[in-house]
Amino acid sequence: MSILNVSNLRAGYDKKDIINNVSFSVNEGELVAVLGANGSGKTTLVKAICGMITHSGECSVSGESIDKLKSKQLARMCSYIPQQSGITIDISVINVVLMGFNPYLGLLQYPTASMKEKAYKVIEQVGLKGKAEDNYLSLSEGQKQLCILARAMVADSRLLLMDEPESALDFNVRYNVMEYIRSWISQETDGGKRAALVTLHDTNLALNYCDRLLLINDSTIADTVNIREDDISVIQEKLRIIYGSISIQSFTNKNGDRQLVMVREPE
Amino acid sequence: MKHSTVSVTTKTNIAFISGAAVMLALFFLSLFVGKYPLVLSRILAGDSMQVKVFLTLRLSRAVVGLIGGFALGIAGFVYQTIFHNALASPDIIGVSSGASAGAAAGILFFQGATMITVCAFGGAIIAVVFALLLSTLDKSGRKSTVILAGIAVHSLAQTVLMCFKLVADPEKQLASIEYWIMGSLNGINSHIIGGNIAVCLVCLVALFVLHRQSILLATEETEAKMLGVNIFRMRLLLLIFSTITVSCIVSMTGLISFIGLLAPHSARKITGNNHLSTMILGGIVGSCLLLGADILARSVAATELPVSIFTSILGAPFLIILIFRGRQKL
Repeated sequence: MSILNVSNLRAGYDKKDIINNVSFSVNEGELVAVLGANGSGKTTLVKAICGMITHSGECSVSGESIDKLKSKQLARMCSYIPQQSGITIDISVINVVLMGFNPYLGLLQYPTASMKEKAYKVIEQVGLKGKAEDNYLSLSEGQKQLCILARAMVADSRLLLMDEPESALDFNVRYNVMEYIRSWISQETDGGKRAALVTLHDTNLALNYCDRLLLINDSTIADTVNIREDDISVIQEKLRIIYGSISIQSFTNKNGDRQLVMVREPE
Repeated sequence: MKHSTVSVTTKTNIAFISGAAVMLALFFLSLFVGKYPLVLSRILAGDSMQVKVFLTLRLSRAVVGLIGGFALGIAGFVYQTIFHNALASPDIIGVSSGASAGAAAGILFFQGATMITVCAFGGAIIAVVFALLLSTLDKSGRKSTVILAGIAVHSLAQTVLMCFKLVADPEKQLASIEYWIMGSLNGINSHIIGGNIAVCLVCLVALFVLHRQSILLATEETEAKMLGVNIFRMRLLLLIFSTITVSCIVSMTGLISFIGLLAPHSARKITGNNHLSTMILGGIVGSCLLLGADILARSVAATELPVSIFTSILGAPFLIILIFRGRQKL
């Protein structure tokens, strides 16, 4: 059963379409990546789904049209992690994470003690132990991204939208984040199973952690890779739409798990 | 599990206690500084002239210094937070220029300090309502639209002010307009402050109650929306409360420069990442600045000087430091 449905989505800036005729769905339990070159429309796609830019077409979460949902209703169903948070004020990490509870609070309500306890727990889980009272602005870019991840985690929504969450993270942290997201997806909420849509630049992360890859080219979804079902040669051919001369190599790590790596080849 | 950093809390507590002590000291000093010497023992003894000056003039002036400075500090803090701009202040959406044009109209067409205050308040509110209405033309709810609308309204209000100055009597009215624009607590008396202070206090309470919402607006717009914030409505609500707060004060005092900018930044240096503490301390610093500037304005020269001279002496160098530190986002 799909959590996110996108149908004939068209969006852009200044009357110029960046994405056109985009249709796909994200099913329960799935982690779906959106891959594409710079400027291909990955961020535009996420912003259009969030309803932040002018668009036509239909986006729905759990069967509810996003355009018809109120902000709080949408936030309860769907969390969002931007490339970079716009926070520019001095504020503690714990207060940033507590923002994630806003969809469940009234205008004049404040986070409860149990919400705070949960926030501290999630801060430790994402790897920011001992940083809860630190100033968010004093964190490294990678730590800031982990803090925003913690904020999305406490919201307890069913769908997670992420816009290049790995861009500021080092090698180990980006793998930890993807593992954390996979573990988050595997946990069910009261409303049912979870899913995530993530735009990525790091193809290797996408190949090893995602279930499906949506390949954006020429303003639309040029092809879809099904990691578990497609052969390596098929994956390779499809990814060449975006990356040109590449090959996909398969390795096995010490646990015996298959690891796919994209390698650039001479023309 | 205990999650606190003692050093920051201790520093903040010390700042609160010392800030409040300085604020109260300046408040009491403000009661007894001025051309007419007041003596506490004679007031307590019931000397009618002393009591009249104390109750009608000095107490009102000190109260406006205390609450006015606090309000300007809080409003500046809210503006900087919701516009993500370290240089944001009430001027940014035309409050001050609207109040100036309104005050000029009051000086030209009506008589008495009360009418000038009413007209200045009306001018400030009209300017802000106009700026907010203009900003609604852009349905995307971007914060830059409100700022651009404010700049347009500011220019328009300045034009109106210039027209009023052109037709003003150069001997009396023009001088009054210029003096009002320079800002002073000289004209404050108990007859004009009641309504303004009451409305100001109500708006201040609202701003404190809504402070969690102002934090949410400090995020990027897509983030805020996806956190369940109705960005346009919430920004409008906070702007209305902070603008009315400022309008209540500047309509009585004339333009007071830099407190809205200076006070929140000074507070941030001390309280660091505690948003609510910064907000309260910003208000306390604002009170200290306005009370201190007003005491200087009536004590350093034979005639009373505009209070903005002293707030600008402190504020202008601070603004330059801010620009060169490059931390602000324009």
